[in-house]
Formats: sequence, structure tokens, C-alpha cells
Amino acid sequence: MGEPGREEYRIQSFDAETQQLLKTALKDPGAVDLEKVANVIVDHSLQDRVFSKEAGRMCYAVIQAESKQAGQSVFRRGLLNRLQQEYQAREQLRARSPRGWVCYVTFICNIFDYLRVNNMPMMALVNPVYDCLFRLAQPDSLSEEEEVGGPGPEGGVDCLVLQLHRVGEQLEKMNRQRMDELFVLIRDGFLLLTDLSSLAQLLLLEIIEFRAAGWKMTPAAHKYYYSEVSD
Amino acid sequence: MACSPRTPPSYRSRGDRDASPPPPARWSLGRKRRADGRQRAEDAEGPAKPADCRRPDSFTTPEAPKPRPRCADWASAVEEDEMRTRMNKEIARYKRKLLVNDCGRERKSLLGSCGSKAPCAAPADLETDESVLMRRQKQINYGKNTMAYDRYIREVPRHLRQPGIHPKTPNKFKKYSRRSWDQQIKLWKVALHFWDPPTEEGCDVQEIHPVDLGEMETESAESSSESQASSQDHSFDMYEGTPTKVRHLDCHVEDEFDLEACLTEPLKDFAAMS
Repeated sequence: MGEPGREEYRIQSFDAETQQLLKTALKDPGAVDLEKVANVIVDHSLQDRVFSKEAGRMCYAVIQAESKQAGQSVFRRGLLNRLQQEYQAREQLRARSPRGWVCYVTFICNIFDYLRVNNMPMMALVNPVYDCLFRLAQPDSLSEEEEVGGPGPEGGVDCLVLQLHRVGEQLEKMNRQRMDELFVLIRDGFLLLTDLSSLAQLLLLEIIEFRAAGWKMTPAAHKYYYSEVSD
Repeated sequence: MACSPRTPPSYRSRGDRDASPPPPARWSLGRKRRADGRQRAEDAEGPAKPADCRRPDSFTTPEAPKPRPRCADWASAVEEDEMRTRMNKEIARYKRKLLVNDCGRERKSLLGSCGSKAPCAAPADLETDESVLMRRQKQINYGKNTMAYDRYIREVPRHLRQPGIHPKTPNKFKKYSRRSWDQQIKLWKVALHFWDPPTEEGCDVQEIHPVDLGEMETESAESSSESQASSQDHSFDMYEGTPTKVRHLDCHVEDEFDLEACLTEPLKDFAAMS
């Protein structure tokens, strides 16, 4: 494979010097400070929602490159350490920067999605990911209109349902009981919270039905939720 | 609830949850007491100090086949998992190989890797304890992660190896006592030194394979304090034990490989290892 395009890893949002650093990390991992690269990537994902959605792929590529070149996992270790630090301080992050918090959850789910160990998802991330999703499903989080502008594309509810679409099925396989509990929260939120926006209600209902259908979109659901045709 | 045991709120069974307000996130904020029993301030510095409040559980799911050792740090947990899955594949492969050898033996009496005339070791006779296998694998990795090993396998293809002359990696799946295994590893690594790259003064660092510093630091820290290494050597010690030993054996490399000298001289370094 030739040099990965900027498009593929969405690194255009970085400054030129950092882009160069990342490109080198992908081609010649031994030549850069991989721990620094990990920090750069995490820092950026906490700020750039677009990047946080796809950063997992780039991380995977760096890990593969390092493993192939030196049989090491310095980058992965740095990445996971940093991820863990942020996780442990997540309440503070959420208080300080709701947008950063949403980015973090997006990022950690993306990492969980992409980074596999011998074709198995990373066990160590299962409970932390659940914890993050649980936090997003708390009543205060669901009702929060102002969390980054409400349940729209930047909001907590949107993040919750999006991540469940992407990694819900895998997560459920790893721990069904916690998924059941999560959906209890979601269902209760949908039914009981009086101050949910109508968009939030719609999003929650959609994910409830999505899971009930075995994590698949049914034609009826597609028609109801995504069709532009009005009755 | 005077009679209830002093368990922190987060340890209530999950069934309790629906009525009461959602408890704090399980892992860091819900614990009322530290692992040693002292009370913590609510939602305090817990998240910032992972070393203090070690979580009692591992990060694996309840559905995991058996209890896993505590691993508070994600990176290590992932690395262990990786080693474990790799190990399982190797065990499977080795068992298949034994079965194949077994069939071969019935037709022609080969001695194979078991070296005995009795039927080859049934899977019941293999070492299967994960922790033992992982430890042994780590020791093997240290030996294989050397310039010497690289040069050795390039120089001597496996089918041209002569037993007794060419070192063979100890078989981690066989049952051995701890002492026996450790001694096999020592002898194997000593034997590998024959293929150490020739060194000159000021050997450049780039030739050395970086090893996992996290593991090697404890070992090389001990060996470097014992060896009379110059300050230049210390930089090598950070990466690998081998270059230090290369220095000791320098005088021997030119002559024949002197096993006696190898066994006596650097023995103090070995004592510091594993």
C-alpha cells in the first residue's frame, strides 16, 4: 500500500508539522517518539469531533506498522495509558468541556471498534466503554439541552445512539447483562423524562427498536425514522 | 440499615439500581472506602490517583472463563491478553504437531522431539499453566530478541542444525521443574553468544534491537550495577543485557568459543536475572 492519503486518516485538521510527524509514524515508526504521537492523537481527538470518529483507524495503522517494524507496542501502550488517564478524570472533563467529553466517548468507542488483539476486541476497554455510555444515558445527560447545543449532531444523546449503532452489537456480545441495564436506563429515560426534546425522544426510540431488531435496521424502521416522505 | 455489611454503595447488586438514583460510575467514584478500609472523601482525588485506589476487580467481563489476575492498567491488560491468545494458538499448534509425529512414529520409528521410545507425550503431560507458559515465553523472547539470535538463525538453517552443537530453544510446553527450566534457558542464551556480532570500540547503538524497556529495565539495572561497565556501556545496558556480555566475551570471540569462561565470568549477571 502506498503512502496513506491525508483523506484516509483525516489528518488535514492537524498543522503541517504534526501531519509530518504522523506520516512518519505510519511509514517509519522507529524514527519518532511514539508516546508523543499517541498524546498528539488523543489531544486532537478531544477537540475535533470529526477526527475522533475515525482516529481509531489511524491508531490501528500505527500499531501495525510498529509491530511489523520492531515487534513492539510502545504506541499502543502510550495510547491506552492516556486513554485510561482521561477516563479516570472523565467527570472533570465533562464538567469542564461537554464537547470534549462527547469527543472522548466517540474516540474510545472508535478505538474499541478498530483496535483488536488477535481478532478479538480489547477486553480491557469493555467496562470503561460501558461506563461512558451509562454516563451519557443518565437522566441529567439525556435531558440536557445545552450539552453542546442539544441532541443535535454534537450532543450527548446523539453520541450515545451513534456509538451504540457502531459498537453496540460487539459490546453486547462481550457483556450482555450490562447492555440490558443500559437499555433499561434508555427506556426509562424515554418513558419517564418529561423534559426530553422531541429529537432526543426520537433518537432513543430508534436505538431501542434497533437493538430489539438484533442490531439491524428493519425496512419499517427505516421508513419511519429515515424516510423523507411525510404522511 | 445497621445490620448491612460495610460495603460501598457501588457493590450493591445490580438489581437494586432501578429504584434509587443512579449510583456513581462503578470503577472510580462509587467506592466509599479505599482498598485498605480507610474512608475516602466523596468523589475525591480517586480518579487522579490510580495507584492509591486499586480496583479489586479485573477489567474482564463476568462471562470470562476464569478469574483473571488484577491488572489495573489497560495497556498491560491488553498485552497480557495478546500473549494469552497467542499462547493458546501455539499450544493448539504444538498438540497438532505431536499428533502428527505420533502417526509418523507408528510407521517408522522416529525419535522426534520427545527423544524417547515411549509413545509421545499425550496432552495430559504438557505444561498448560498459563502463568508458567507466559513466564517461559518471556524468557525465550529475551533470548530471541538479540542480535546473536538473529545472526544464528540466518547462518544456520533449521534443517542443518546439529544437536549438541547448535543451540535449540527450550520447549516451553514440556513439563520441567523451575530450576531445570531456568538452567536450560541460561545455557541456551550462553550458547547463543557464539553468534554475537563482533564489536569494536564505540559500537554504535543503532545495531541493537530495542527491547521492551518496561521489562528489561529491572534486569539491566541490576546487571549494570554488577558489571564493570564504562559509562558508554551504560547506554547499552538500557537496551539489552547482551552487549555487556559481548564486552566480557570480547577476548574469547577471536579464539575458540570458550564455554568455561562464559559460564564462570558473567555468572554474576545471570544471578541478577529472572
